[in-house]
This record gives sequence, C-alpha cells and structure tokens, in this order.
Amino acid sequence: MKKSILSLASAMLFAFSTNAQKVDFEEYDLSNGMHVILHKDTSAPVVITSVMYHVGAKDEQPDRTGMAHFFEHLLFEGTKNIKKGEWFKIVSSNGGTNNANTTDDRTYYYEIFPSNKLELGLWMESERLLHPIIKQEGVDTQNEVVKEEKRLRVDNQPYSRFLEYVKENIFKKHPYKGTTIGKMEHLDAATLDEFLAFNKKFYVPNNATLVVAGDIDFATTKKMVQDYFGPIPRGAEITKNFPKEDPITAPMSAKGYDPNIQIPAIMAAYRTPSMKTRDSRVLDMISSYLSSGKSSVLYKKLVDNKKMALQAGAINVSQEDYGTYILFGLPQGETKLADIISEIDEEIVKIQTNLISEKDYQKLQNKFENNFVNSNSSVEGIANSLARYHVMFGDTNLINTEIDIFRSITREEIRDVAKKYLNPNQRLTLEYLPKAK
Amino acid sequence: MKTKIASLIALFVISISVNAQIDRSKMPEPGPDPVVKLGKPETFKLKNGLQVIMVENNKLPRASASLTIDNKPYFEGEIAGVSGMMGSLLGRGTANITKDEFNEKVDFLGASVSFFSSGAFASSLKKYFPEILELMADGVKNSEFTKEEFDKEVQITLDGIKSNEKSVTSAARRVEDVLTYGKNHPFGEYTSKESVEKITLQDVKNNYNTYYRPNNAYLVIEGDIDIKATKKLVKSLFSGWKKGNIPAYTMPATTNPKTAEINFVNMDNAVQSEIAIINNIDLTLGDKDYYAALMANNILGGGGTARLFMNLREDKGYTYGSYSRLSQSRHAGTFRATASVRNMVTDSSVVELQKEINKIRYQKVSAEELENSKEEYIGSFVMNVQKPRTVANFALNIARYNLPKDFYANYIKNIKAVTLEDVQNAAIKYFRGDKARIVVTGKGIEVLKNLEKTDYVIKYFDKYGNPTEKPEMTMPIPDGMTAETVVNKYLQAIGGKDKVMAVKTTMMVANATVQGTPVVMTMKAAAPNKTSQVVSVMGNTMSKAVFNGENGYQEARGQKMNLPAEQLAKAKDGNALFKDLGYTSGKLLRIEPLEGKNAIVLQYKDTEVFYDMASGLKVKEVETSKTPDGKEVKTPTVFSDYKAVNGILFPHGIGVKMGPISLDLKVSDLKVNEGVSDADFE
Repeated sequence: MKKSILSLASAMLFAFSTNAQKVDFEEYDLSNGMHVILHKDTSAPVVITSVMYHVGAKDEQPDRTGMAHFFEHLLFEGTKNIKKGEWFKIVSSNGGTNNANTTDDRTYYYEIFPSNKLELGLWMESERLLHPIIKQEGVDTQNEVVKEEKRLRVDNQPYSRFLEYVKENIFKKHPYKGTTIGKMEHLDAATLDEFLAFNKKFYVPNNATLVVAGDIDFATTKKMVQDYFGPIPRGAEITKNFPKEDPITAPMSAKGYDPNIQIPAIMAAYRTPSMKTRDSRVLDMISSYLSSGKSSVLYKKLVDNKKMALQAGAINVSQEDYGTYILFGLPQGETKLADIISEIDEEIVKIQTNLISEKDYQKLQNKFENNFVNSNSSVEGIANSLARYHVMFGDTNLINTEIDIFRSITREEIRDVAKKYLNPNQRLTLEYLPKAK
Repeated sequence: MKTKIASLIALFVISISVNAQIDRSKMPEPGPDPVVKLGKPETFKLKNGLQVIMVENNKLPRASASLTIDNKPYFEGEIAGVSGMMGSLLGRGTANITKDEFNEKVDFLGASVSFFSSGAFASSLKKYFPEILELMADGVKNSEFTKEEFDKEVQITLDGIKSNEKSVTSAARRVEDVLTYGKNHPFGEYTSKESVEKITLQDVKNNYNTYYRPNNAYLVIEGDIDIKATKKLVKSLFSGWKKGNIPAYTMPATTNPKTAEINFVNMDNAVQSEIAIINNIDLTLGDKDYYAALMANNILGGGGTARLFMNLREDKGYTYGSYSRLSQSRHAGTFRATASVRNMVTDSSVVELQKEINKIRYQKVSAEELENSKEEYIGSFVMNVQKPRTVANFALNIARYNLPKDFYANYIKNIKAVTLEDVQNAAIKYFRGDKARIVVTGKGIEVLKNLEKTDYVIKYFDKYGNPTEKPEMTMPIPDGMTAETVVNKYLQAIGGKDKVMAVKTTMMVANATVQGTPVVMTMKAAAPNKTSQVVSVMGNTMSKAVFNGENGYQEARGQKMNLPAEQLAKAKDGNALFKDLGYTSGKLLRIEPLEGKNAIVLQYKDTEVFYDMASGLKVKEVETSKTPDGKEVKTPTVFSDYKAVNGILFPHGIGVKMGPISLDLKVSDLKVNEGVSDADFE
C-alpha cells in the first residue's frame, strides 16, 4: 500500500517533466577580431565578465616552461589606469570576486560583480588587454609567489606528481610533455623582454573571446563592449604548428617517486586523440563505465569485492591536441601493483570483446544527462563553458548540442574505441612509489 | 517591421559610441543598485523533531535533498573515529535492499546519494527525485551494518591513515587541533590507527542507534519541486524515523596560553612550513559584535586584498597566500591566521603575521578599508541572496542558531552600521596575538635556528601533538662521502687539481671599511708555504704579517714581534696557497643548512670548514681559539662571489667576524703567478 501511494505522488509531481534547458546566447566578432558571446540570465542580480585567451603552456618555448601560467599572475599587477596592487581592491570593494586559471591550452580570466557593475568589469578586462604594466618589480615578486604555489600544490602534496610523470613519458615531441606550472629554473631565466614579447604575441583581441553573462541588457552591453574593446588594435595573426607524436607501438614502463606518500600507486596511461573528436567522448563514457559511482566496474571489483585496492579508476585527460587516458589503482594491504594492473586489464579486454549490457548503456546515458543538466547550474559555469566551447572546439552551441553526441554513441562504438586505443602495446605503465628525495 | 526598428536603434547606438570616446582613465561609475529580493522558503516540522525547509526553483529540471543532524558534538575517546566509520557504512544495505541493488539503482538513474555521520545528501534529475529521496530515507532509517562491510571499512580507514602519514598539511591540521582544543575535546581528538583498531561493529551500531536521530535534524529540499507534493512525500518517507534519546555531554573548556608561544612540529619531508597562529574565541553567529568581528577579520586576512595577503604575498613573496579565519561556533570558536611558506622565510613570516595581528589591534583601520570591506560583503550578499541554496541556508541558520526571523533582512543595514571603533574592539577581543599558539609544522633543521632568534618560547610536539624533545639538527652524511671526496670535489669545482697545482704565487688586493675608515689589504702567497699580509689605510701601512716558510713576524705601529711558537707551528703546518689541500686528513662532522642550502662540515684541527653540497665550493670556515683566560672564541670567515682568474675560481667576497667587529672584504685585484717576489716574504 505504502508503495502505491508513493508512485502516485511521483506521478503527480513529475507528469510535466520538461526537456533539459537550452542556453540562449548571441555571438559576434568585433572588427579587431575579438569574439564576443552574450548570455542573459535574470535569476540573480549578477554579471560575469570573462576573457579566454587561446594561449596556454603548450605555446611556450621549450626552455621557458611555466611562462603562460606565470604571465597570468603578471596580468594582475596593474594597467595604465589601474595602479599596482589596486586590481584586487577594486574588485572586492565593488562587491565582486575574480580569479584566473591557466591550462596547457588556454588562459581564462573572470570577474563576478553585482549586475550594476557591468561596465566596471568590462573596463578592467579591456585595461588588461590594452595596456597592462609589466615591470621587473612585478616579475620578481610573482616569481617567488609562483614558486610558493608549486611548493603548496605539488611539492608538499601527496600524489600530486603523477600527471607530470605520465606526461613526460607519453609525449616525446609535443609540448604536452611538460607541466603547466613549468620548471622553476626556466622562470628564473626568463627576462622582462621575453614577457613583453609573450604579451605582444598572444594577448591580442584576435586571440581573445569575451563572455558577458548574467542580468544584462544586450543592447547596452554591446555598446559598452564596443566602447571598451573596439579601439584595441588587432595583433599579428598567430599560427600554431605543434609537432605531431609518433604512435606508441611498444609498451613503456617508468617509475616516479613522491616523498609525501607511503602507499604506492600504479598507472596505465594511453595517448588518445584530441578532445574535439568523437572518440575522445567515447573514452569519456568508458571512464564513466569503469569508475564513476559505487556500482562502476573497477570500484565494485577492486575496492568492494576483491579488496585489492583503496581506490581504482579511470581518468580521461582531454586536451586540445591529444588526450591522455589513465587507469590507476592504489593497493590495499599487501596487494602487488602488477596484480592491480592485470585485474584492470581483464575488464578492458571484456569491453573490447563484448558489448556492454543494455542496462549499463542506459545507465551511462542517464549519467551523462545528469551531468549535462548540472553543468549549466551556475551562470559562472555557463560563462566558462561558452568561452571553452568557442575557443577549444570552435562551436559555441556545443553547450546545447554536445549531449546529442553522447546520446548518439553506440555500444558498438564503445567496444571499437576500447579496441583502438586501450591496448598494452600502446601504453605506459608507471609505478608511483614512495621515496625520500 | 519591429525588428527593423530595433536594428536601426542599435545602429544609432553604435554610431554614437564611435564618435563619443569613453574616458578610460576613470573607473566607471556603477549603475543603480540592484533590487534585493529575499526568497521565502516553505517550512514544516514532523512530530519526531525533523524540521523541513523547502525552496522551489524551476530553472533546471533537478532537485536535491540535504539532511543535517545538528547534535551537539561529543567526545569519542578511545574509539575516536567511530562516528566517521558509522557514516561511511550507512547505506550499504538496509532492511529492504542489498548494498549492490542500492548502488546500482542510484547509479542507473545518474543520481547521487551519500551519507555521513551528521547527515545525508541526495540529488538527481527532477524525474527521478521521488525514487532517489526514497532511497535516501531508507538508508537514513534502516541501514544495516554487517561484519563484512565493517571489516572492509576498518582496512580502508587504516590504509587511509597510512597514506596520509607523511603529509605535512594533514599532520599540521591534526596537531593544530590537538593543541588548540586539547586531546579530550571533540574537536581536538583524531582518528588514529590505535583508535580504529579498538572500534567494534557493536560500537558502530550503538553510535547509529544513539546519534543518528531526527531530534535535532533539518532536511532541506531545493530545486524544481512542487511544494505540496513534496511535503506529502517527505511526510510519508520520514515520519517513521524514530526519535532517540541523545545523551547529555558537557564539553571541556578551551584555554589560550598565558603568553604567545611557538609550538613546533618537525617533519623532515617538508618543503614549506605550515604556520598557524591560533587562539580560542567565544563568538557565535548573531552576537552583537558579530559583524564588527567579520569586518576586522576581512580587513586583516579575508582574501586577496587583505593585509596579510598584501604583505606576505604581494610585498614579500613569502607565500602563495596568507589568510585569517574567524570561526564562529556555538561550542568552541577559533581565530586562525595562516600561511604556507618556504622554509627559509619561516621566522620572517611568523614575525610579519604577528606584526599584522598586533597592528589591527592597536591602530584603527582606515575608513577606506572599512568601507571597502563592507562593500565586499554587501556585494556578495546581493549576488547570492536569490540563489536557492542561499535561501535554504539562511532558513537553516535562523533555525539552528535561533536567530530573529528578520536576521538576514537586516543584514545590509547591520553591516553598514559597523564603526571603526567597533572593528578595533572586535580585533582586540578576538585576535589574541598576545596569547596565541603559533603552530609551525616544518623541517626543523632548516627553520629552527632562525625561529630561535624570535622572542617566543618554543615547545616541541610530535606529529600527533604529544610533547617531545627538540629534533636533531643534523642530517646523515651520505655513504661513501669522506673528507677526501669533499676536498676533491672542491678542487674540481674551482678548476681542477691540475690547474691548482700549477699555481706558484697569488696576490690579492681587497678593500673594506672598518668603523668608517677605508682599509686596503694586500695578501701574497707563494709556494711552498710563504705568506704576507699588509694592511694599509690611505697609503700608510698599519700592520704587516710575514711568514717565509720557516720563521715569521708581525709588525704593527712600528712594533715588530716574532710569531709565537704556537702560531708558528700552525703556519708551518698549512699550505699558503690552498689550505684545503691539507684538509683531506680531516673528518666529516655533519650536514648543516646554510642560507637555504646544505653544507657538509669538515673538521680540520681547530677549524670547521663548510662546503656547499651542491656546488662543492667552500662557503665558510670557523676557527675556534682560546683566549688567555680560557674562553673559546669562534672566528667565522665567509666566502662568496666566486670568479675565475687564470681558470681557477677564487672568492671575491670574504667576510670575517672577530668578536664585535665584522670585516667585509671585496677583492679588487687578484693575480696568479705574477706580482710576487721573494722580497715580499722578508
């Protein structure tokens, strides 16, 4: 009886289940080449102004790794009209927050303000692009700050170096072989002139995408955008020509050490195609199948049933030019690293040989639909996605349509992609071991 | 037609903007303040005590449920970690469903359900929410605890503890809590290997039956829901959750030290020191000076524009970020000012942190700082107030803290009312730089020497917060390293033994200032073992010391004196050109950090010689001698600024300290195999 009441209630509640939301936006180019995306959301009196520059760690000179991230720090040091040390003060005293982040592929800056400060946000971002002040003094301070950032996030943290070890082995030619934070000696060697040249080359409107999202009026916003960004001169065309990797055809193995750990870890890492490809999305689904949730294959087998691992899973590191697919496990008790790998391999072979069950397939679809709804839950998140889909994928509307790609992926494709990329002769096996420096 | 007009207007607007240039030298003025609309939640209470807060928001087709069991904290004692373990074991099978079925169902719906010792959380798409809420309710009411799952969880917890054993940050947080609250306090106790091994399955069941009860619980449901239907659903799912009898517990009082002290925790693998200046406070949300305290903390260390950040990061570059935090609590609040800094600047960072804490206590903040801080809070309030999660949190706080219903309606007004005096009073009351524990977790060998120079008493603790002894201040000497390998590495570093052996004479002219007077020193040396030193001021020879390999004398102000037997013997024993050649018969003492680098220390007779471990270069010598009355005197000589002459590196900066006098010699001329004759040693 109880049960029937429940389902009645649920029927009442959810008879009108709507389709997932659509993110409306408008996009256009300024005459200097800057791309502009506007999104209106009046649910809260908030506005986001953000700029994504298509420059990241992979655009650095090989002997100047860490430059892109370092430069991100420098661009908070002040502009012609914003004095050194004033940037953060302006933001917080206007009730806003701001930050920036750098990946191998792009650099992203943003401010979040109460909606009546829209013009302020545009002014700040245009100041940053038009005439930042880059001086030796700022370089010297930020050099120390970045080193502390590395100590904090990498050197003093357990399990923080595995990506570094994986990448330096998986990539031989492409700049993905380095880390975003870079080598400290490279930063020490970097001169002021090099920073100025970096700015001149990459921080130009034709390499930038501006997003304004929130409680805004399009006509007013467009005028302001034109006022603040329109007069900024176009820069030279940027051509990107990164070296191509040769396929991995023989198994590789390596060891990496971490003084902050006691329990080792094992990783199997594969080089996979660009995140723009359909195959990369199929690999996302395979990761989810293997390790998302307590009923996922690797968790259930290695952690729950066999008690061989403390943690086990799959990560698909999606990047613009290539991806890195990493399977990993931390042994429980006395389990040997090699045994974890062979258990994982067994599951990979199953995916490569048989189709996953209809039920598991439906589960994946439900998960991706859930992720899709949640990915657009905050206007900050929407702004970031709009910029990312334009800059990285060249198709802003993927914010609405990417879910259709996932929906169209078949069980057969999952099997075939696993067969194509996840073979022992295409991978690096990395033993991640405890050791004092 | 309508669109045409619109685009015409747009064109017009753009054409104006082309003509009228904006003045970008001025910061743009804000538009009119946005209107703040406080959302209103729906609330009701079940007979078992569970209070339900619902917020409807139809922006996305999803919903979530968040359960908070707001019991007063209690002490777990020798089975510390039992509640955490109970929380992890919740939802692994109930009277109605097996664990695997439960997990499969949740995952299949692409949803998530999680449990913890003080509540639970569930979220899903709108269409699956009733099913998901039912699963959550089932786990809350009917969880079963099996031996198998319990054993597994014990193992995972133990491995988890092990995996964090070397983590500097987790050791720091643990010890900070132990020292701040005390080991016998619910906030000070921690889960250890020993305590986990003591926990039994029955303990876990008891914990669930005693504390996981609706008496003090709140359920917040938010999202694309129908209020009426949801109320009905919650009633049917949670009415059966039985009220319990939660034991009374009196929390021990916390105390601050009488005067500020350093509590040091040694971690050999630390590359940064974790610094936390902590004192206990009595501050609860809604207190009269709550907003003043918020402003004071925000100005001191609230974020990237606060004083700590501007000083320690933007000005000094000591850290990636330095912050302070004022944790209000109905039970035991704290103030903390923190920074993770590189080893070398640990002492300076402690000094700067304390300086900032004292400054905000003894001097009023500026009107501008206060104004900016108020705007920061008001802006954040304005931006968040309409978000469904905020609406729910506000309602939850009003209920938990028993606040007036208009508490948040008056938020902006109350923030604006804070005065400069209020801020200072709050700073004096809550930031006790004078009675703080300065907990430093770091690498003793690299940071203690300088920390000892601060005025604070230093107490030592192990990484579990137990009092201990000061750590050993040396590092083990690597296998295979001997006096000979060290000296050879040095010779290699300065240019190679061949080149060194080809040197017959050296002549060096160095300048220094002694008590304001410029002094020139000329030093000559020749093989096999001849030396001379002449000190002159403005062209006049002030003193002279000569040794010809057999005999020697000193001359000062016209007084000539033969070298005493002791010094003569020492001179005879040395090598005038490269003393280090003789050091191969010395012995290695220890490794000592020196200016952020490690030096290997070699003892040769009464001299300790420091060679940089990395570069191999000699960085320092310390000679110990005895005064006539038997006191030991140490004379350190520091070498720096190595430059090549004839392919050999010579230090061009030499610092000597003799008692209160320090001499900073800068070498202005250095010649090899020229400018020296036998006459110089007569």
